[in-house]
Order: sequence, then C-alpha cells, then structure tokens
Amino acid sequence: MLLSLRGVARAYRGDAAPFALEVPAFDLDEGEALALAGPSGSGKSTLLMMLALAAPPDAAERFVFAGQDIARHWRAGRRDALAELRARRVGVVPQTGGLLSYLSVEGNIALTQRIAGRPDVRRVRLLAEELGIAAQLGKRPAELSVGQRQRVAIARALAHRPALVLADEPTASVHPELADAVLALLKRECAAAGAALLVATHDPDRAARAGYPVLACETRAPGTDGIARSIFARASLAQAA
Amino acid sequence: MLRLALADLWHERVLFLCSVLGCAAVLAPLIVLFGLREGVVAGLRAELLEDPRAREVVSVVNRTLEPALFERLAADPRVAFVVPRTRALSSTIVLENPARVASGLRVELLPTAARDPLLPDSNGLGADALVLSATALERLGLRVGDPVLASVPRSRDGQREVLTLPMSVAGAAPLSAATRDAAFATLPVLLLVEDFLDGAAGPQARPTSEDAARTRPFAGFRLHAARLEDVPALDRELRLTGIEVASRAEAVAGLLRLDRNLALLFLALAGAGGAGYLVSLGVGLWAQVERKRRDLALLSLLGLKRRALLMLPLIQASAVALMGALCAFAVAAAVAGVLNRAFAGTVAGERPVCLLSAAMGAGAAGITLAGGVVASMLAGLRAAGVAPAEGLAEG
Repeated sequence: MLLSLRGVARAYRGDAAPFALEVPAFDLDEGEALALAGPSGSGKSTLLMMLALAAPPDAAERFVFAGQDIARHWRAGRRDALAELRARRVGVVPQTGGLLSYLSVEGNIALTQRIAGRPDVRRVRLLAEELGIAAQLGKRPAELSVGQRQRVAIARALAHRPALVLADEPTASVHPELADAVLALLKRECAAAGAALLVATHDPDRAARAGYPVLACETRAPGTDGIARSIFARASLAQAA
Repeated sequence: MLRLALADLWHERVLFLCSVLGCAAVLAPLIVLFGLREGVVAGLRAELLEDPRAREVVSVVNRTLEPALFERLAADPRVAFVVPRTRALSSTIVLENPARVASGLRVELLPTAARDPLLPDSNGLGADALVLSATALERLGLRVGDPVLASVPRSRDGQREVLTLPMSVAGAAPLSAATRDAAFATLPVLLLVEDFLDGAAGPQARPTSEDAARTRPFAGFRLHAARLEDVPALDRELRLTGIEVASRAEAVAGLLRLDRNLALLFLALAGAGGAGYLVSLGVGLWAQVERKRRDLALLSLLGLKRRALLMLPLIQASAVALMGALCAFAVAAAVAGVLNRAFAGTVAGERPVCLLSAAMGAGAAGITLAGGVVASMLAGLRAAGVAPAEGLAEG
C-alpha cells in the first residue's frame, strides 16, 4: 500500500461557503492509477495538495505514505523531512505546466532529478523522446506550445522515478483533442515507470474513456453548521472484501 | 543551487543589469563623498600633525621653575616631549669652523633631548655634539660630522675670559625646527653656558650629566603635546598656573572645530545617503523576491528544502550587491581621478582631494552585501514560509 488515509479532514475556504474536505478512508496501491472527479471547488486540488505532502491535514487518524507517518511529520513540523519525501517519491504535474522560464526544457525536466540528487541524463532524453519533445530540449518554455509544455511537465514529474505522480486538471488548459492524448500519455508513462497516478479532473467521462478508474466525490450542501462537505472515500479492495 | 540562481539571473540579465546599475548609482556618490572626507579632512589633519610646531607649547617669560613641575609635565600623558631651557639672555654662543680662520658666527643656543619632535633624525645627542640649523651650517662651511668650536666670552673684573668647548656637528636641523641661525645642544651644555656667564663656573668647566642637570630649576621650557587636540587644553592649564606660554592653540582649536564640523557634515550626508541607499537596495531585492514567489513556491513543491530555497534570493542579492559595489567603486575611482586633477595643488596641497582606498571599497562592498543579504533574507523567509501548495494551485 503506497497511500493509506483514515479520518483525514481539512477545512478550506471555497468560492462561497466554508468547505470541509473529509476523507474517511482512502487507499492507493503501488502503481495504481485513479482519477479523482468532482465539480470545480469540490476540494480535489486540496486533496492533491495533502497527498503531495505540500499542505497539512487539520486532523488525521492515519496518513501513511510510502511507509512514513505523514501526520506525525506535520505535527512535529519536520518540513525538511517532508520536502525530502516530496523530492524523492512524488512527482507533480501542475495545471499549466509550472515550468521555470529561465531554464531550458532539458533543465526543467532534469530539475526534479537535481533536487532529488539523482541526475540521469539518459532518462531525460528517453522521456523526451517518448513524449515527442526531444527536438525541444534546448528551447525555453516560452517557445513551446501549451501541449508541449504540458508534456515537459509530465516528463519532469517522472524524471526522478517517483512512486506517486499527482496531476491537477492536466487537461484544463489544453485543446479537447489533446486532452485525451495527455491523459493517455500520463497513464502510459506512469505504468511504464511503475508509478502510482492520481489525476484530478472535473470530467469523469473523459477519464473513464482513457481507462482510469474514477473516484467521484460526494458533496453535501451546508447542514445546520453551515459548512459544505466534500467526501472522498475509497477503501482498498482487500479491505472491502 | 548556484547554477539555478545564476541561470535565473542570466535569463533576466537586463533586469539584473538594471538592479546593478541602480545599486551603483546610489553607492558611487557615497564613495566619492567618503573619498573627499578622507582626502580633505585627513589631509588637513596630516599636514598639521606633520608640522611639529603645531603641537608646540613654549614658556615665554623667564621664571624659576622647580624640577617637580618638569616631572609632572613629563608624566602627563598629553605631553609627548618636554625639555627645560635656560634664560633667554644667556643662550647665545659663538661657533667657529676650526678649518677656517676668524669664521665666528653668533647663534642662538636651543635645548634638545632624546625623542625631540623638532629633530626626528637626531636622537640621543651627546654632551659634545651640536645639531645646527641649515643656515648656520652653510655660513660656517660645515658638514655633518665635522668638528666645531663653541665659545662663550665674559668680562670679569675687567678681564675677558672665554669658555671654549670643542664639539662636533651631529646633524642638520630641518627647516621646520629653526629658520634662523641656531644650534641645538643638550641641557648640560646650556647649563654650563649659563653658569659661566653667571660666574658660577670657570673657563675650564665641562658639562655635567643629563640627570644632574635635570635636578636644577630652569627659567622656562618647550613642550610638545601628544595629540593636536591636547594643545588648547595644555595652553589653558599652563596659563592658569601662572606660566605665560605661546602656542598655536587658537589656530589648532579653529582647525579642530573645522575638522569636527566637516566630519559632522560628512556624517550627516553619508548617513542620509547611506540609509537611503540601503532602503532602495532592500526594497529592490524585496520586490525581486516577491516577483519570484511563484517560482519559489514551485521549487518548494518539487521538494527543495527551506534552506536551499532561501539560498536562491540570497545568492542573487549577493551577486547584485557585489556587482553594484564593484561598478560604484569603478565610477567613484574615475570621478576621484577627475577631481584630483581639477583640484591639484589647491585645496589640500600636494595631497589628492579625493582619496579612495581598497579598505573603503571592501567596506562599501561589505555594507552593501550585508544590507542585501538582510533584505533578501527577510523577503526570502516570507516567500519560503508560503505553503508549497501555492506552486500547484497557481501552476
């Protein structure tokens, strides 16, 4: 089990009403791919942030990632330990690529390797070829199309051989035709690298078409306490059985 | 980390250049200002200090001053040198060049002792040696090392008697020590001349030891203050004890006031300019970090540790500060060169009006670096404190 959460909650400010994100149970196996679906503002990004070890949960009965007690790291304020885990085990594909404008494509892809302390030029080249951006390695991000930038971000998320890749609406800023290709690429590359994959999307049908199992979020209108709730629940198959 | 920071700077080299020039533009005039202060004020001071007469205080009226007074003066830390003198009337002698016939020259006999500021080259004069003024040397046709005959005539019971001392020329007094014909000798020689004229010593008498001479009362003294600043106080105190003295106290006090006022003026200008400089530098670097917030958040999300994250703006600020200081110093050096040529020989004599030293350059770079590091550190801490989540959401 790569990720295992129980009783995790985080309050956040939505567009209008106060929101609470609740994860009663969530498990993800090594190498497993999953799409998190929900309308915009349902807390998908917040959940991804928590799973990327970039934002602390308000409460957590259990939050284990790659064998490490993440909840305890947050409670103890061990930010460097969390950064270390992010650097070595997590790959992130931000919505619009999030590339550093002052580095070349090659430098951007190699960035995660350098932060993790695992330089591997051959892997950078290989990923670039598989993603069809080998000709762009020497260019700056500003010279690329949106789709190419997205692929650079995917290559960067995989370059340091992470155990988990998180993508936040990777198709939001690309052409609909390209969206399917991006989702397929992500799934294929993660499978090839043996990395687990979590994709947040507001379009569950597209994800399902691309062959992703979909976990839809359950939203509840504000109750007596005036707080709207978003609930993601997914116990492992073994436990459900 | 260094590569990342420098790659960013290189990518935005125009902006980097702007920051560097902005930094240099404010710093260069400050460096010139400090150079002027060094050149003008320090030059004036050095000139005064170089002239031993500026620190001199001499008693002008013959009195009977007890050895205790001289001991007290010698022990005073503000007094660098003190030598007693005999009565003014009994302090002339006739000098003769033994190699020339009838070459007698009447000169003033002045006291000296070890470590005399007036005679920096003639330390530890013997009782049979004289230091002559340049004019006396020339008139007598003598050179340093030559023998010389010193004689004092007196009339006793209608009889003419002469005290003759065979001596040697131990040195030439610089022009600042004596402009007229004069001979410097040790205290025992002066006392012997006085005793002979008073009738207390015969023509065959010879000088006593320095220590023995110091136990006697004297008519007056010449002293040199340790520092220029001590002259007015010493002058005032001696007058208060009833000893009439002459010194350049007025001129020294005036110059010291000028020095203080100039220093204050420079300090005020430099303070205002320096504070403005640090603020502008800090604000510029702060703005740069704010602009980089998104990049920093992204790097944090990718797993860069907090300390490494802080290094980024720190390295960039250091680069700006160092390059800026370097540029500023180059500009200031050019300006100083122009100033020095333009004011050559007018304001500060032969000295450069604007004096730049490597230490000043290092100081400017150091202060700039410190200011830049503090500013970018504060801004960086703020940026690094932002949750890495910002890097994903904003993307």
